[in-house]
Amino acid sequence: MTDDITTKKGKSVSSRDRVDGATYAVVTIALTLAVTIFAFLFLPAIALPMLLAFVFVTAVGWVTYQAEVARILTLIATVLTVLTVGFITFFLFARALPAFLDHGLDLLLVPEQDNGESRWFFWLESVLPSDSTFWNPLSGAYSLIPMIWGTVVVTIIAGAVAGPLGLFGALFISEVASDRLREIIKPGVEILAGIPSIVYGFIGFQVLNGFIQTNFLDDGASFLIAGLVVGVMALPTVVSVGEDALSSVPQSMGDGSVAMGATEWQTMKSISIPAAFSGISAAVILGLGRAIGETMAVAAIMASGTQFADPLFDIFHANTTLTSLIATQYGSASESTVEVLFVAGVMLFVIVASMSIVAQYIERRMQRKLKGQQ
Amino acid sequence: MSNAYATTDQLVSAESNIYDRGLDTAIALSVVGFMLGFVTLVNLVPPGASGSTLTTAFGTLLAVVVGAVGITSLASYANVVPVTSQRVRGVGLGLVVSTLALTAFATALPVTMATLLGIMLLAEALAITAAGVSSRLELVDAEPNMSAGLLSGGALGVIGLVMGAAVGGALTGFGSRLWLGGAAVAGVGLFLLTILPREDLGSTLPTAIVVGALGLTIVTGTIGVGWQWNPQTLSGGFTGGAVIPVFLLSGMLLSAWSAAKCRAGFGARGREYGAFLVINLNAFLMVAVMATIVVFVTVKGAGYAVHGLTVGALTALVLLTPALLVAVKFARTPAGTNDWNSGARQLFRVLPLAAVGALAAMFASVLVTGSPLRYVYDYTVQVNRQGKTLDTAVAVTPDTTIGTLLLTALAMVLAVAFFRSFGSLRKVGVQSERARLIRRAVPTVVLVFVMLSTLFLVLGPAPFGLPLGGTLGFAAVVGGAVAASGLVVYPLAGVLTSDEPTLADSAQREAPLFTLGVFGGLGLLLATLLLQPVAGINPQVGPVNLVPVIALGAAVASLALVALTTVAKRSSEETITRRVLAEERRLGLVGAAGFTALLGLHVAVTSTSFTVLGVSVANKGSISWPMVMEAYIPLGAEPGGIMPAIIGTVWLVIGATLFAVPLGVGAAVFLTEYAEQGRFTAVVETATNALWSTPSIVFGLFGAAFLIPRLGGDESLLTGMLVLGFMLLPLVLITSRESIKAVPDEYRDASAALGVTQWETIKSVVLPAAMPGVITGVILGVGRIAGETAPLILVLGSTLNAKAGVNVIDGFQFVSEPPFIVNDALMTASASLPTQVWAVIAAGVSGSPQMGWATAFILLMVVLTFYAVGIMARTYFRRKLNYE
Repeated sequence: MTDDITTKKGKSVSSRDRVDGATYAVVTIALTLAVTIFAFLFLPAIALPMLLAFVFVTAVGWVTYQAEVARILTLIATVLTVLTVGFITFFLFARALPAFLDHGLDLLLVPEQDNGESRWFFWLESVLPSDSTFWNPLSGAYSLIPMIWGTVVVTIIAGAVAGPLGLFGALFISEVASDRLREIIKPGVEILAGIPSIVYGFIGFQVLNGFIQTNFLDDGASFLIAGLVVGVMALPTVVSVGEDALSSVPQSMGDGSVAMGATEWQTMKSISIPAAFSGISAAVILGLGRAIGETMAVAAIMASGTQFADPLFDIFHANTTLTSLIATQYGSASESTVEVLFVAGVMLFVIVASMSIVAQYIERRMQRKLKGQQ
Repeated sequence: MSNAYATTDQLVSAESNIYDRGLDTAIALSVVGFMLGFVTLVNLVPPGASGSTLTTAFGTLLAVVVGAVGITSLASYANVVPVTSQRVRGVGLGLVVSTLALTAFATALPVTMATLLGIMLLAEALAITAAGVSSRLELVDAEPNMSAGLLSGGALGVIGLVMGAAVGGALTGFGSRLWLGGAAVAGVGLFLLTILPREDLGSTLPTAIVVGALGLTIVTGTIGVGWQWNPQTLSGGFTGGAVIPVFLLSGMLLSAWSAAKCRAGFGARGREYGAFLVINLNAFLMVAVMATIVVFVTVKGAGYAVHGLTVGALTALVLLTPALLVAVKFARTPAGTNDWNSGARQLFRVLPLAAVGALAAMFASVLVTGSPLRYVYDYTVQVNRQGKTLDTAVAVTPDTTIGTLLLTALAMVLAVAFFRSFGSLRKVGVQSERARLIRRAVPTVVLVFVMLSTLFLVLGPAPFGLPLGGTLGFAAVVGGAVAASGLVVYPLAGVLTSDEPTLADSAQREAPLFTLGVFGGLGLLLATLLLQPVAGINPQVGPVNLVPVIALGAAVASLALVALTTVAKRSSEETITRRVLAEERRLGLVGAAGFTALLGLHVAVTSTSFTVLGVSVANKGSISWPMVMEAYIPLGAEPGGIMPAIIGTVWLVIGATLFAVPLGVGAAVFLTEYAEQGRFTAVVETATNALWSTPSIVFGLFGAAFLIPRLGGDESLLTGMLVLGFMLLPLVLITSRESIKAVPDEYRDASAALGVTQWETIKSVVLPAAMPGVITGVILGVGRIAGETAPLILVLGSTLNAKAGVNVIDGFQFVSEPPFIVNDALMTASASLPTQVWAVIAAGVSGSPQMGWATAFILLMVVLTFYAVGIMARTYFRRKLNYE
């Protein structure tokens, strides 16, 4: 913008004017947006007029200084996205904080025992039958321990299903299948990921719970069915991420092995899988994250139960998980219960987000390694 | 992988001997056993079945297998899908042989399903042992290694541990610790038996022992149909009905692996075949699970979902038009590859066309004979917690009414499709002076009409008390309509009166009239048409409604143009002329579709139905689909439908997309094009990825904590939209970023070299190139959020049996105090498809499972449609990128 801009009519507009105008436009847009956000946060009633003002200013700016306004708009979009992440984190923690302060570590303890003291939770201890009530909002018993255990059991079963099957599926798509078959199976896996969780839940609720009653003499809901269903739901994640990892192994590595006279399976077993191992583990981590966060299927299959299974490994027992606790209790919960539910939400958020970050780190490291930059 | 494996083909097509054939049959038998395991597990055929039930079941299986193998071998014989591998052929033959044998067994002997399954396991064990021993005795040609390897040893050792524990526990009880001893002995024994002998014995004997033991347990009735084991400590137990299928699944998987190893002669190649078989079975399993879910929900829900669906035959025909065009296009697609020459393959090309044609003929026959086509069935509704069966039917009636929405939408789609295939007729033919004059005049007239419309829109049909609408407007509409009809007839008349020697030449010469007639006529008639509602008039000439008659006439005239050019094209030899005529024909099709759309639009804006020759176009069409078009009817004879939920889902998706797409694409543009690639972008990327995998219920909590207090304090549609938008945002951002990154830097450099500014480059080079990826990502993301339930039950509530859909468009109101615009519809809770399913579950015994299945079916179809469209769009764009 150093030269003067010559308009069609031969009049020259100083570049200074243009820059100033653009600056004004950009600053006005940014200001109105900031005011809109503040209004939304603290005085929601006037947020809409402010939003309209922002839209108007933007429209005017778009007509006059399109390039600059476009730039600031994309910046705004970025800032809003980052703000979203920030708001989610902040408001979850903020709503959970009162419960943290009220109950502190009680949320992770076995509730009061005979002597009136809450006990530290030791896994071994609870293998023994315990009669204490873990969750009863009416009497103020808020222990999330059984729900955490429920999440753990469901995730373990789901992992046992999704891990090996997912690895084999990824191998099939990336190495074994012919091109034409791959064109069919890959979208098929994606569609499997697209089936809504409530549909899985409805099938589990209507059919599988009855199935397990006749075939496994159970009284209805069970960890086993919930885990199996969640495993099937996590399967596509494992397959597609694992397949990406396997395909990112350079072709030359496999070719080298084949040139040495190895069979395809030997190449897969000794070259592809070891080279993509970290990517595959990232796939399993992401799949487990998906399983931990799965709500509706679990809530539909196991709607109730807030006590420990006895013994702990009793997979025919039913119990709510962290997610289904939120889904089933939120509607009827009192204010203090809601705060505890937010604590459960914070746990889920932190665990799954950190799993995602770990998986991303592993994937990136593998990519770097395979590209030979390390 | 690469061509390095070319030798595999030669290996597998080597001639096979009796050993190979036997093992192929063993593999086939284990595949059949694997499938039968599933069949018994889901109780399709109970393990206790015997007699005629069993015979019928195996008869069906035989029919399926023979049919599938037969068709495949026919296709192979006809060279459509050539099967060269001897192994695949052998397994195919083995499938037929083993099912035949099983059927014979089931018919001849008085056995139950369970016993038969046990016998299958025993037969497998025998076959594997025989194969292993004959290889050890050097009777066959094999290349076994010294040992089966630690991997197989470990796997079999674990199996041994489990079996040893089970047997030990069953014999001594789990109270004493003796079962541990049994487990250890069996585990270590199998491990050693696997790794110590040469590979041919090491990989057959242990499996044969395991499979044989499983088979014996079933055959001897140790674990029979009525068997139960209910440990005191667990809340559940095990029954024969569950354990026998599980035995079969694991035993057959094991024996398939072992037999495959034997078949390929052990060694490296044997291991490969074994591993590949297991991997293939696993893939088959995944596809089967997916297909089962979809088919199951369809079977359970489709009957209820389409109850009372009736379609007028003419409407059905209109609906078929796009399918017909697609089928024609598919059939016309030229053969791309060299081997695209056999008659069988060409048959596949015309099959869809034949199918669509047959359907069309069926609907046409309904119109001709006047007797409806009905499929009568019954479905179950829930009344007072009891199932009640109602009769219903899906019918095609001889109704000749066509709805305006359907007609206009379809005709518009067709017009756009034809227009896209239309190239250009610029600089073709000779333009007369008069045509040039008219060409100049048309835009001016259209502009005048638009200004007139605006005037009436702002001031009403009678501005300043002057009845302009009835006079000036009337005259304008009549004049415009007549002028439009003149424009359309002009090319027809021009061609027919031209003095060129042949029809083709005159059609080529008068090409400018074609564009003028079609585009000018369309534009003028559209402007005229829109003038009608704002001026409050609908000109009639006697009993005839002017505008639709002219639209219909124009459509017919356009079709006449199509016919004319087709005839001319047939008689012409010259390539250029033929090309021009093909373009003109497409233009004629654009005109026909466009004028039909205008006809529908006229009826829609004036609400006056239009009838000609018994066919009527009306606002209320002849499709009646109670499930989708009606709300719940309390205490009615019929249950009604879930229209409110569908409308709710539609609005949620629209709102979320409007929120997330601009934000996501904008952020992607900034991060990729403007921002310095470094720590900041990496952090944002990590954060978005983390956001993408955040559990959906957490989004619901966020919406409840952050949005609800600021948006009216109660569950509302707007909150639902925003929450789903937050969920969609990371996916849009990730996919947009990927596709923007994938645009080659050369594009940007070339644009910059031309002196184009950065923003102009982004706008006209980068974004258009990245658009396919963005669109695909958005479609797939929308598919995911359309089925999202967990956040909605926190921020939208779950309504069962809603009686009215939200009306967002009419809900907007202007008020004099802040916030100036209110929309009550957006601020109230609404039903939606996923929450409706959840409401059925939450209602417990008072919920209607049949309606739940139907809702789940519709939800599944909606979501799968999004996914199918997204995946097809991606394939389409990718092909376009690769081949063009």
